[in-house]
Amino acid sequence: MTLNEIMDMLYGIFHTTGVFNFQWKLIIMWGIGSLFIYLAIAKKYEPLLLLPIGFGIFIVNFPLVPLMGYSHGHAQLLQIFYHYGLEWEVIPCIIFLGLGAMTDFGPLIANPRTLLIGAGAQLGVFITFTGTVLAGFTLKEAASVGIIGGADGPTTVYLTQHLAPQLLGPNALAAYSYMAMVPLIQPPIMRLMTSVEERKIRMRQLRPVSKQEKILFPLVTAGIIALLVPSVIPLMGMFMLGNLMKESGVVERLTETSQGALMNIVTIFLGISVGATMHADKFLSWKPLFIFGLGLVDFAVCTIGGILTVKVMNLLLKEKINPLIGSAGVSAVPMAARVSQVQGLKYDKTNHLLMHAMGPNLAGVIGSAAAAGMFIAMFD
Amino acid sequence: MKKLLLPIFIFFLTIPASLYAEDFLGAPLIPGGKTVERTKSRLEMKSPLSHDEIVAFYRQALKKYEDIKFRDWKDATYIEDDGRLSWHSITISKQYRDGTNLVIVKDNWTWIIGTLVLRFIGVFVVLLFLMLGMYISGTIISRSVKKLEAKKS
Repeated sequence: MTLNEIMDMLYGIFHTTGVFNFQWKLIIMWGIGSLFIYLAIAKKYEPLLLLPIGFGIFIVNFPLVPLMGYSHGHAQLLQIFYHYGLEWEVIPCIIFLGLGAMTDFGPLIANPRTLLIGAGAQLGVFITFTGTVLAGFTLKEAASVGIIGGADGPTTVYLTQHLAPQLLGPNALAAYSYMAMVPLIQPPIMRLMTSVEERKIRMRQLRPVSKQEKILFPLVTAGIIALLVPSVIPLMGMFMLGNLMKESGVVERLTETSQGALMNIVTIFLGISVGATMHADKFLSWKPLFIFGLGLVDFAVCTIGGILTVKVMNLLLKEKINPLIGSAGVSAVPMAARVSQVQGLKYDKTNHLLMHAMGPNLAGVIGSAAAAGMFIAMFD
Repeated sequence: MKKLLLPIFIFFLTIPASLYAEDFLGAPLIPGGKTVERTKSRLEMKSPLSHDEIVAFYRQALKKYEDIKFRDWKDATYIEDDGRLSWHSITISKQYRDGTNLVIVKDNWTWIIGTLVLRFIGVFVVLLFLMLGMYISGTIISRSVKKLEAKKS
């Protein structure tokens, strides 16, 4: 064997390594992936999602890694997760099943008026839509960006996958990041929008809710949503099934699995699949940055929308509602409700708003799903 | 020479006209259609072709666009663009009165804002119905529970 032949062989081997195919923009993506891993581990920001998402971003941004493509006509590992989990829109629905199995709708059933706060808190979704269109996005892209303000991760993933899958990565990242930052984003807006007197408003203790009511709630909700916004029933149907299983008390094994093992499994697949969509070639443009910027505005306007709705309701109601619970109208369960509680306690140490805020908080989940349904109906 | 100039003059005069007639804001126009009313943002035409023929023409002409939707309404077929085209919709009437009526409308903010406002109100309506459903079911259940408790006692 001549030296030339050995050199050719070495050259051939070198060609199959990532080093030869390296691009500098990949380093930026490693940085972005590492940032989200850092936020998850060090700051505990939505670690269940941001950690696998961060790792997904990190790992797909190496040259030649067989993860998000096809080899000899066969889909590679993360491509399979993405295809069956997200393209088929399965994962968000299964997450909703688990969420339903975890959720106690008692505070919402005890005070159904708070449903309207969940509707009002969708204001930002529609305003952001307009801003996004102005920036040159298509209408479908604008809808998928707008829904970020609803602060509901699975709904954002579901709608984005349905209307603008090319924005899945940035939208999901923005949604989960801002959900984690609710305690930072909302309090200044809450203080700005309310007077000290309003923050001290005491609300009557919620009535106890019977088991029968809790069992009937998922059936009534599923029926009404199916009639009025059928396009979103894959999400809401699973949500209500999970809740029916929980409240019925007769299928504990299924409930446990839904809220535990099953939820955890799909969360892993969701995180890594979303992260894997963010390859440098697709991600490094002005759009993700814009989405992050507008997402923040979206959250802020949704918070304002919830508080304003309470203020309008207070004009008509004898028993006033503390406007601090308006901000909980964005989903982010139960973080947004906790923020209301903390803010309330700052002005009256005996005024506990948590259970009152859970009502609009849960209404926000239904409201953002309804808004998503409106957008799907608009384009399908 | 004068005999030659006249046809050349007419030819060049008709080129812009024919180009003008081929599309409206980028939306292809049905051949042989007559303009009924034309503004900067709206074009109404009448075509001797039937509704189905016109729909078939547009299906062919617009097949390369991803964000085009054909909606089959009771009285018309409504073609809508959700992408970045300059026109928003083409409405093809199903009624044939001296021809088929066809209306092309420019993409406009009135439509976007209008549909957003309606859909935002729609979210309220959905949750309002849910609220009513909860009040009604809550009342029925609490009454029946009270009756059961009264019977037991």
